[in-house]
Amino acid sequence: MKNEVRRRLLYGGPQRPFYAVKRNSSLGKRRRRGGVKSRSFEKRGQHPGTRGRQAEARLATRLVRAPAMLKCGMGGSQVKVFGKAIQALSRVSDELWLDPSEKGLALRSVNSCRSAYGCVLFSPVFFQQYQWSTSVKMNDNDTISNLNCKLGMKSILPIFKCLNSLERNVESCKIFTRSDKCKVVIQFFCRHGIKRTHNVCFQESQPLQVIFEKSTCSNTLMIQPRVLAEAIVLFTSSQEEVTLAVTPFNVCIKSSNEESMDLTSSVHSEMFVGPDEFDFFQIGVDTEITFCFKELKGMLIFSEATHAPISIHFDFPGKPMALSIDDMLLEANFILATLADEPSRASSPQSLCLSQKRKRSDLIRSNSKAGKNVTSKALEHISRKAAPKRLCPNETLTDISALENCGSPPLKRVSGDVGEVPASSVRRAEEVLASPCLRKTENKMINHRREKTEDSEDRRRQRDEKNPPSYKGFKLQRWYRDFSRVQRALGEFTVCLRLLSQEETSVQERGKSDGGVDETRLAKNG
Amino acid sequence: MTSAVLKCCPVDVTVNRSLSTGKLHRVELLLQTKLALGTLDVLLSKSFLCARAVGVSNMIAKLAKTCTLRISPDKLNFILSDKLASGGVSMWCELEQENFFSEFQMEGISAANNEIYLELTSENLSRALKTAQNARALKIKLTNKHYPCLTVSIELLSVSSSSRIVTHDIPVKVIPRRLWKDLQEPTVPDSDVSIYLPVLKTMKSVVEKMKNISNHLIIEANLNGELNLKIETELVCVTTHFKDLGNPPLASENASQARNPEQMAEVHIDIRKLLQFLAGQQANPTKAVCNIVNNKIVHFDLLHEDVSLQYFIPALS
Repeated sequence: MKNEVRRRLLYGGPQRPFYAVKRNSSLGKRRRRGGVKSRSFEKRGQHPGTRGRQAEARLATRLVRAPAMLKCGMGGSQVKVFGKAIQALSRVSDELWLDPSEKGLALRSVNSCRSAYGCVLFSPVFFQQYQWSTSVKMNDNDTISNLNCKLGMKSILPIFKCLNSLERNVESCKIFTRSDKCKVVIQFFCRHGIKRTHNVCFQESQPLQVIFEKSTCSNTLMIQPRVLAEAIVLFTSSQEEVTLAVTPFNVCIKSSNEESMDLTSSVHSEMFVGPDEFDFFQIGVDTEITFCFKELKGMLIFSEATHAPISIHFDFPGKPMALSIDDMLLEANFILATLADEPSRASSPQSLCLSQKRKRSDLIRSNSKAGKNVTSKALEHISRKAAPKRLCPNETLTDISALENCGSPPLKRVSGDVGEVPASSVRRAEEVLASPCLRKTENKMINHRREKTEDSEDRRRQRDEKNPPSYKGFKLQRWYRDFSRVQRALGEFTVCLRLLSQEETSVQERGKSDGGVDETRLAKNG
Repeated sequence: MTSAVLKCCPVDVTVNRSLSTGKLHRVELLLQTKLALGTLDVLLSKSFLCARAVGVSNMIAKLAKTCTLRISPDKLNFILSDKLASGGVSMWCELEQENFFSEFQMEGISAANNEIYLELTSENLSRALKTAQNARALKIKLTNKHYPCLTVSIELLSVSSSSRIVTHDIPVKVIPRRLWKDLQEPTVPDSDVSIYLPVLKTMKSVVEKMKNISNHLIIEANLNGELNLKIETELVCVTTHFKDLGNPPLASENASQARNPEQMAEVHIDIRKLLQFLAGQQANPTKAVCNIVNNKIVHFDLLHEDVSLQYFIPALS
């Protein structure tokens, strides 16, 4: 077999299909048949000259999307700031969106009752290296979709836990992800040559953005974070809400008094701060706003790392307020809802105005699943991980041009195919098995299992892009046919040789006794 | 008198502050409230006093969750004598107001009973005073804003010229006079053995580890300066011996002669109560004495500079 491989390569030129055909012609006996085949091949119009261009065109239609990706790297000191941003956002909610754009990498978080929103935007200058791309679908409608990556805070927060030790040990950090892979890879290159890699699975989800114009607020204060931190010490963790009362002469931060609270048990604290302590003090309206304490603490955690002053933008009670930090390298915005000042004392704060850019990526994804069985489609919809593009496997025989892009010799491919044919049938069996399981409540385990199979499926799918399965089957059949022909031929040949050797020995034996009678016998056998 | 209706009258205080000079000032009684519970106005003007007040409140917070604050013209007491709730332990902490406050004004319910008894959550006070760690001045007032509360007003130094004022309103409960008799200074019992305590940190770490083994601890000491902490279980028996501790001079000579110096006086106590007591001690006290009444009670008498603390742990029944 190895000899045959070498012979194949000797032919040179672009990888020709139907090596079996070539080999047959080299054997000499079946040259005519092989010749006929190649001619008929040419008849179908697959001229060598046009083969390449057609291949490209076919590839383009088949290639549904180049995945959206993000790749960024930062140094040790920036890791601390990044980690603090994540810790601050963890106070807002349990989910974090990674949203790359040309402005930089944005980390977004919204809490479940939509009363707090946090966004930290790191400009490209913050990173040592920053690359991102959107996914472009080359279909009839060109849609561009971003990397919609939603991470669970529980998975990413422990990675950035001990920030002081991270700052000391980590020399650089790389974060990269692609939308067709199911995970974000975070690598820490630490001292002494230690490399730590974290793979965090993400969900595909559209990040939310808040519409809030800071410039329209009538009251703006800019203050050093240290002052606010001292104020925060006053308040106990049992107190949920903080009231900020402003007049043109002073600012008062106090614990909020709610009638529902047990007045006799809690301490009421107040802190008066004069206008001198603010870097910027502009009060248009005398107001008192009440907002949640937790997010303010989160913001302060972050501000410790950046040493930049915090700006507070607010208006009348009920309108959301913004806490923001504006630096050269990053911009952080925490937008909190405030208690509305109604006579009925509404307990739920007004929710923020959120916008969600709805892309049609989900719909498009569902359309591309033609040719797969229905159960698998249902599974893909339910599974949390977004399934990447699947190709229509019903490729016709004529798509041989794809083979030209294959680097590996057909022998290897074929062996791979042999391995894949049973595997794909196994896969389908698994899918069939998994679908009834989904009706049970144990979805997590099944998702996990499916994700594993889907991982290997991804790889198989990428190979399928180049070798559609039906065509592979056809090739396999031809190879077997040729091989069996060769085998038969060889078998006959060995039999012939054996007989010859037997005859020879007998001739030799008889040669001592007889003469030419044996020659006739030999001729008959040959 | 007993169930006083608290009228809400504005508290108007103007205090002559010459804090820059740091001199003690006599302040006129400017508080005009019709509270039937008395008035209180104290001012701590020196920062180290503030820090010490913070330390005291921290210690009290660790020792007792809810305690009674007794205010009399010459001293302040933190009392814990709620037998049922605390499981029998009682505490008596005394501080001389002269050592702490640069200005002290108080007025009790009446001239005869010139005392105020307040019940408060000690943690609230310690947290409120935490901000006063580096304060320029600290003022404590008894006020009545919807409900009686102790208003702690802290003046903080800030980088800019304007000083920052922080106010805490700690809700308190006024204890009526009929319950005052329960809150008197406990009598120090005639102890069988009196011994100086070893370094409290060492003792605390030992007791902490013993707590994991058993809840039942035996303290025994003798007049030879030996103190033992024992725990006994089915499987194991652990004893820690402290030697050469020294004994304070006894009051009565008869008792000392009658008693054999080697003989141990012991008490069985709950280890958690002892641990709570030891956990509250941050710094090493100036003086620490342990008095044991055989099988009855153990009495700790500590002196932290000028704050005296007495803690009683009864024997397990």
